[in-house]
Amino acid sequence: MAGDPNKLAIFVTSPQNMTHVIGLAEATVKAGKKPMIFFTYKSVHLTKDARFKALADLCGQDDIAICADSYTCEGYDSANDIPDGLSASQMRTQAFHGALLDECGKYIVL
Amino acid sequence: METLKVYILIANRFYNDGIRSALGLAVENHYGYPVVMNGEFPQMSEYMAENIAWIADMEGEVLSCGADAPTDLPEGVEMTNISLQDLGERMREADVIIPYGLLKQTNEPPPACAE
Amino acid sequence: MKILQVYRSEPNDDVKTLVEILNRDRDADEFKLFSDDPDYDVLVEKIFAADKTVCWW
Repeated sequence: MAGDPNKLAIFVTSPQNMTHVIGLAEATVKAGKKPMIFFTYKSVHLTKDARFKALADLCGQDDIAICADSYTCEGYDSANDIPDGLSASQMRTQAFHGALLDECGKYIVL
Repeated sequence: METLKVYILIANRFYNDGIRSALGLAVENHYGYPVVMNGEFPQMSEYMAENIAWIADMEGEVLSCGADAPTDLPEGVEMTNISLQDLGERMREADVIIPYGLLKQTNEPPPACAE
Repeated sequence: MKILQVYRSEPNDDVKTLVEILNRDRDADEFKLFSDDPDYDVLVEKIFAADKTVCWW
């Protein structure tokens, strides 16, 4: 992958790895690198975890997003129930996964 | 922009949304190869059939590993059977490998969520 | 090519087979996320040292 060698893509597809997502994101920042995270499909339930807002703040607006279609598919209201820590612009499509691949030199799935 | 070969391994029937994810990457000019593992085939809705056909149109391929693909797939829907060994060999050339979602469940699904 | 295999749970036979093929003739490393209290600092170090990371279920 030819993206930024100091940027780590974390593609979250499982709803049971929040501790790993947070641990890895925090350790990435601690190491002076940058995490970029996309939550898709059933992992969008993790936006309801009490730790999600702090994770969103750690990443910053441009580097964390969720799949709006997945959020709707899982029963949430993607217009009136935007997860704490996110704005409407962070309710994205699978194209954000493409951005992860383009922008990040390293990549992991959780 | 670099074009990447991305394999998405789908081991759990609830996660064949991974096929949609592969299509999303194909739209972004990557090669998407979803792999349905051990017979965890998706319900072949019109939406799913279209997704699979589009992946092929965009030079990707939907693979079936560990169980033969159904022979009664809708027109335009193709899945390629592949052995575990051959999948491993093909994935040596992959840029990204995504074990998607969760592992296969031990118990058969109850009627409440079987379809 | 440096490849890192990360496991979220004890790998099953299919995963072991695939990992063996992927690691062949490569500089391979691994990290067990399912161990008690995984050291994420070490994981980050390994990810950035590797050319490719595969994180299994």
